[in-house]
Amino acid sequence: MSEQSTNSSAPAGGLLKWLDDRYPLISTWNEHVAQYYAPKNFNFWYFFGSLALLVLVNQFVTGIWLTMSYKPSAAEAFNSIEYIMRDVEWGWLIRYMHTTGASAFFIVVYLHMTRALLYGSYKQPRELVWLIGMLIFVVLMAEAFMGYMLPWGQMSYWGAQVIISLFSAIPLVGPDLALWIRGDYIISDATLNRFFALHVIALPLVLVILVFMHIVALHKVGSNNPDGIEIKKYKDVQGLPLDGIAFHPYYTVKDSFGAVFFMILFALVVFYLPEGGGYFIEAPNFEPADPLKTPDHIAPVWYFTPFYAILRAVPDKFFGVVAMGASIAVLFAMPWLDRCKVKSIRYRGYSYKLLLTMFLISFVVLGVLGALPSTPTYTKLAQIFTILYFAFFIILPFTSVNERTKPVPERTT
Amino acid sequence: MSEVKTIETVNMKRRQVLAGATGVVGAIGATFAAVPFVGSWQPSEKAKAAGAPVDADISAMQPGQMMTLSWRGKPVWVVRRTPDMLERLSALDEFLRDPLSNDSLQPDYCKNPMRAINAEYLVVVGICTHLGCAPLYRPAVNSPDMAANWRGGFFCPCHGSSFDLAGRVFRSVPAPTNLEIPPHRFLSETRIRIGEDTQEGGQA
Amino acid sequence: MLTKLLNSFSKRLIWLITGTVLPMSFAFAAGPNLQLESANNNVRDVESLQRGAVHFANYCMACHSTKYMRYIRIARDLGWQDEEVIDKMTYGLALPVDDVITRIQEGVSQQVFGTEAPDLSLMARLKGTDYVYSFIRGYFEEEEGKWNNHVLAGTSMPNVLEGVKRHSTTEEYDQTTRDIANFLEYVAEPYKVKRWDLGWKVILFLLLLLILTYLLKKEYWRDIKH
Repeated sequence: MSEQSTNSSAPAGGLLKWLDDRYPLISTWNEHVAQYYAPKNFNFWYFFGSLALLVLVNQFVTGIWLTMSYKPSAAEAFNSIEYIMRDVEWGWLIRYMHTTGASAFFIVVYLHMTRALLYGSYKQPRELVWLIGMLIFVVLMAEAFMGYMLPWGQMSYWGAQVIISLFSAIPLVGPDLALWIRGDYIISDATLNRFFALHVIALPLVLVILVFMHIVALHKVGSNNPDGIEIKKYKDVQGLPLDGIAFHPYYTVKDSFGAVFFMILFALVVFYLPEGGGYFIEAPNFEPADPLKTPDHIAPVWYFTPFYAILRAVPDKFFGVVAMGASIAVLFAMPWLDRCKVKSIRYRGYSYKLLLTMFLISFVVLGVLGALPSTPTYTKLAQIFTILYFAFFIILPFTSVNERTKPVPERTT
Repeated sequence: MSEVKTIETVNMKRRQVLAGATGVVGAIGATFAAVPFVGSWQPSEKAKAAGAPVDADISAMQPGQMMTLSWRGKPVWVVRRTPDMLERLSALDEFLRDPLSNDSLQPDYCKNPMRAINAEYLVVVGICTHLGCAPLYRPAVNSPDMAANWRGGFFCPCHGSSFDLAGRVFRSVPAPTNLEIPPHRFLSETRIRIGEDTQEGGQA
Repeated sequence: MLTKLLNSFSKRLIWLITGTVLPMSFAFAAGPNLQLESANNNVRDVESLQRGAVHFANYCMACHSTKYMRYIRIARDLGWQDEEVIDKMTYGLALPVDDVITRIQEGVSQQVFGTEAPDLSLMARLKGTDYVYSFIRGYFEEEEGKWNNHVLAGTSMPNVLEGVKRHSTTEEYDQTTRDIANFLEYVAEPYKVKRWDLGWKVILFLLLLLILTYLLKKEYWRDIKH
């Protein structure tokens, strides 16, 4: 049960007091959990933040266990994966939890970001929450890309080949940069080794720090909500927001329910669909990497396909890479591109609803196109949807200034 | 929190029961979830395959000769003992720490003074029970490179532990117990299998 | 009423995307595909796997390995004694702990067929069980004594099942090829049945936890007025 007192916490005696005298245990707990007041009107979109944290923990634990049996060398990597899958007790389960976790991470993060776009969670005063979140997204993509290389299958190899080649499109330094990243003239043992180091140590460390900052920044300004109003405006005599409820126990129990629901879906994939229909683990990756033979059809893992489709839509190597980079970079600018004062989609005008729908559809369609082999028709389609994707960011600053919004309620509905 | 109902109207009992039940079931779930992670530290199928029983042909062994095999990465010695050696073993009890092998590791079928299925053949793990060095085989009484009164057996050069020709440890040396006898059985008069027990159905 | 309607923007969006855009996407995802026969195999059918293992040893292992498998694992999963698997699959020429490796000498395959016969441990996952089934059945005589394959044109693999086809009924031939495909599916993921059998138990347990967390959430949230 929560202590509902607002006076500074009076810790119990004994060990807890001893600890609290030396470490801000209770105050931290209170500030971020027991007395963190979140709006009471969160809907299902608000599960994805805590679910992302859950998946992160899953990736850490299963990842640490995988490193115990994985061998980061071109000669042994593929064999060691099959060793994990067949010879290590429960190895198959731990690995499927990790591969499924990778895809689950992106599903959860994409939905988490969609939530922000729906309810204007990136807007003043939460710009920094959004920026840190975007950094997490970019680091996560790097983390996933490097992780996908480790099994040293055909798709690992050729996917890495394509992505690293992107750097060679940069004028002047490009080819040298790609060479430097690979550490060899082709993707090789040296590349695998450095990617392994980055995947298991460097990037996870960065992720943890960023996630910590994301939460600290959020708790400084307080959570947004589906009505997009600031609950701090109306407070009771004790100074607590009238529309706020303590994160613990109310959202801890609610998020527990969400977590278990998620785990059921997760278990369904792990036990009955671990390959995710060829999208979570791609079939060519059941063949060891062969630098002399490209698979018939190279497609990145599904969570990269929207950006990959944008890359392919531009008929110029350099500008393709620029467009792909811009498609991610432009998201950082959302807090400033959207100039409407109203946060939530519930009270915004038709222009934003239309634009956002167009943007999300473009994202999904580009995702599908990026997974398909390129044909003239698909390339045409990809070009159209690439334009629509960017149109969202270009039109938004103009329409959002004088958007015909609806009146925003004072209190949560 | 002003819109929170007063605590009296809440069914505290039901709340506690539900919280308790969720906690217990959650804890059971966490325990189950730990099983794969603990289990994955067990020897893998590959390690087990590499640790499978090893067969050896002993038909060519001369009396007094020692043969070294590798089983699960450990040296296993087979010594063909002469009647003379066996006779001397019977007279050593007073010098030994554990002459009846009560505190030592061996299969039940080797828990006898000669520590063997067939007294002629000693099968023993060649790892000193003190700190894991490999002892030397010095079967001759008063072997020239040994100290005076050497009774024949195994000598560990690391810390000076000594064992007789049944792998039994002498008194006043650092090794605490006799050398370990691995599970083994005779497939025939001349073939021996290390890593499988003698009784029916036994597997390593 | 109005809020209810507005509230549903995100819901309508989800329906729009899952209801129209995704199926549309799958529609253009379905490209021209090779017509494969369905293997209709069942990796739970241990007898079929046993027959498949023996056929595999007889017809495939002259050139192909499944190097990620050991005989001892096949024995354990297929209900054989250690001696049995060695007897049935290797004529006593291997140890139970050995990997399932072809009897051909290194380099011979390259000389005779111009290519190394691929390892088949993961073939059923790489190409699909139906592909394996269709491929081994896909041979046809182009001209007198010259075979080709519908599934993989110009394959250098000889039609090793020619004799089987000639000397057995259609049912027997179907059975033999299905057993081989079944065995290769098992070999590609030997823990598959274990995975299936554990999954529903985990999910059942989670459902229990789901009910409890749902009730707990409802109980606590009675505090909150809407």
